[in-house]
Amino acid sequence: MSASPIARQTTQSQNIPSKRVVINDPSQLPIDYSSTPGGTLFSTTPGGTRIVYERDFLMNLRNSPISQTPPRNMPSIPGELLKNTLQNFSTSAKNQINKDTPVIEESAEQFEMDM
Amino acid sequence: MATSNTEEIEEVERKEQEVVNFDEFPPEVLIKHPLQHTWTLWYYEPDRNKTWEESQRKITSFDTAEDFWSLYNHIKAASELRQGCDYSMFKEGIRPMWEDDANKCGGRWLINLEKKQRNTDLDHFWLEILLCMIGEAFNEYSDDICGAVVNIRTKGDKLGVWTANANSEESVMEIGRKLRERLKIASKVTIGYQIHKDVMVKVGSQTKNAYIV
Repeated sequence: MSASPIARQTTQSQNIPSKRVVINDPSQLPIDYSSTPGGTLFSTTPGGTRIVYERDFLMNLRNSPISQTPPRNMPSIPGELLKNTLQNFSTSAKNQINKDTPVIEESAEQFEMDM
Repeated sequence: MATSNTEEIEEVERKEQEVVNFDEFPPEVLIKHPLQHTWTLWYYEPDRNKTWEESQRKITSFDTAEDFWSLYNHIKAASELRQGCDYSMFKEGIRPMWEDDANKCGGRWLINLEKKQRNTDLDHFWLEILLCMIGEAFNEYSDDICGAVVNIRTKGDKLGVWTANANSEESVMEIGRKLRERLKIASKVTIGYQIHKDVMVKVGSQTKNAYIV
């Protein structure tokens, strides 16, 4: 990757611009993974801060584990819009919940007490 | 801002327990990639008891590439929608209608598909348009993008990319050229740009094209 010795002689080197941010307390850290203290590094592009993604990069993200999880407000998405496999999934999930709900039998006494 | 981020983290943590054990994955694949804009997906289903506007339903909004995919991966493809239905994806705050302030001076690049293209091109074209929008593929002209619509129709499906200002020729043309390139539209096919105001007052079924590429 490094340039040949001759190329290095003719190219003027420049420091990567940086700034130092002092953190005194963990609470000053950004709350999300994708930020760095003092600003988000990868959203800074020359001439502006537009976040641009190439097609292939986005396509690669399609199969990442987070991309496979159901969308966050799935219950509010009309059922007819969900892929068929998911409709089945959500019905079976509901049944599951019903099965797990403890059945309270009114007749059963918890304990007996002599009066 | 801080609150919504906290919610998001809690959301992810909750999903972790529910679905997969995320410990198996290296941390870099668990970082969500923020998008330049927040986008909203709309779904239109014709309903005789409702006005056109009432039949436009906001499905959800997202602002990361992963949230886009988790939505896209779980909803029906455009070609699976019933006749007469639409999907629209617009920047948050812009309604998928001409009357919206962001659209009223604008127009759309319109791609009319032949019936047989529903099986061959429709889904792939729609996805390509969505990726162009969320990835800001139109560079500095991306600010002029309002959204896109896919209409599922018996006569032939339609794809429209809506831009904010029909008078800004440079921007409209650049967006049109980029669309052609990304959708790999055959060289013998031209696509036209229609101004929303012209569509509103049209006489007959044809609206003239303000630009073509």
